[in-house]
Amino acid sequence: MSETAQLPLIDSDAETHTLPPVHLDQFEGPLDMLLHLIRKQKMDVFDIPIAIITQQYMDMLEVQDDLDLEMSGDYLVMASSLMQLKSRMLLPRPEIDDEGNSIDPRSELAAQLVAYEQYRLLAEALNERPLMNRDVFTRSIFPEADDVERPLAQADLDALLVAFRQVLKRVNGEVRQQIFTEPMNMRAQMAFVLQRLQHSSMQLDELLHHSPGREALVTTILAILELWRQQSITVLQGEHFGAIMLLARGEEA
Amino acid sequence: MNLLTARIEALLLASDEPLSVQKIHVLLLSSTSTEPHSEDSLSADIQHALIKLESDYQTHGIHIAQVAGGWQLRTAPEHAELVQRLWQVKAPRLSRSALETLAIIAYRQPTTRAEIEALRGVRVSSQMLSNLQERGWIKVIGRKDVPGRPHLFGTGKQFLIDFGLNGLKDLPDSNQLMDHDELNPALSQRTLQQSASEQESANEQNSEHQHGTQ
Repeated sequence: MSETAQLPLIDSDAETHTLPPVHLDQFEGPLDMLLHLIRKQKMDVFDIPIAIITQQYMDMLEVQDDLDLEMSGDYLVMASSLMQLKSRMLLPRPEIDDEGNSIDPRSELAAQLVAYEQYRLLAEALNERPLMNRDVFTRSIFPEADDVERPLAQADLDALLVAFRQVLKRVNGEVRQQIFTEPMNMRAQMAFVLQRLQHSSMQLDELLHHSPGREALVTTILAILELWRQQSITVLQGEHFGAIMLLARGEEA
Repeated sequence: MNLLTARIEALLLASDEPLSVQKIHVLLLSSTSTEPHSEDSLSADIQHALIKLESDYQTHGIHIAQVAGGWQLRTAPEHAELVQRLWQVKAPRLSRSALETLAIIAYRQPTTRAEIEALRGVRVSSQMLSNLQERGWIKVIGRKDVPGRPHLFGTGKQFLIDFGLNGLKDLPDSNQLMDHDELNPALSQRTLQQSASEQESANEQNSEHQHGTQ
């Protein structure tokens, strides 16, 4: 019998290793849970007793009475990986790779666990830094956009999408009385937007405000994106998360 | 306080984003009341003034921090609770999933959603990603040239500002991060000895089981 193995690989007496029940809610996923089991029992992540860990993992899954459907997929994948690992460890001869070196079937899992733990620690380190609007605050005393001509810069797609998302969120909560039976035509909407912008430049919010209902809103948004892509209009933004300005090409802001 | 420092201090207060030495330089040059300096010495003088300001402000309720390649005035962290009361907002708590995702993107950028999911061992929700994008902490910086052409994510400038970092190289413990590929050879070395002896004991136990109570 070897002295180097601290815990037997196959343990018929599983009772000695049962742990108090915990809810999966406190874990970020199967890796998090496995790490918890390993660290709590002071196991060596480079020498995981697969049979014990697999049993404990399965036990924990079994006592969950309300498994989130989305999460359960990830947990079940890990369950089958563990069971496969367990059977690989039972092979009479050690596995060898292409060069004839003996490989440990657990090394990939161990690597995954160590990597995940690293990022978990890094995430904690990030959270410990003084965070804007939680630990530190700045105050911009910039005058309102109406009073002062703020130089506008080219907005990027990200900023535009953020603005669209916010408008859509607002509309989703509103109930419209009128029902429009005409299907929205994107080309028509593009012409409409361009026409309005020829008249005068507008803020994004203003332009979208006139679109009744979600379908019209989405069509208008698509029209704006297409016009932007075609470079028929210019999209500008003064400050981060600030109002977005639309102009017809060739016009000054 | 000398004139240069005073003017820099005024600029810092009036700016709503970190000001770089270069930007301050340009602003001062365009002002007619700036004394003649040589190009190089003005930048150096600005730099010195900022460093001195930073150290002077250490004892104040507001600090000057070097973030995102520029300098910014911000309240000292000790007074966080007080300011929160003034603003009447409770600071939103960052979820562990958001932080882990953010950490992975910050340290491994550019990275894809699939890589993030592989590292975390769980699916990454689109909502969380768009939340991080809305804060300006992450952005799509391109597409990976593989089938499916997935988005590549990286951190945005706001990430540096909000977490008080001057650049990505200032990420905590970035030098200690083990490369994913380094991990595997390190592991096979350590487990080589043990796996051999374990297979032996496993075989012994296995044969015992078969002959015994089975």
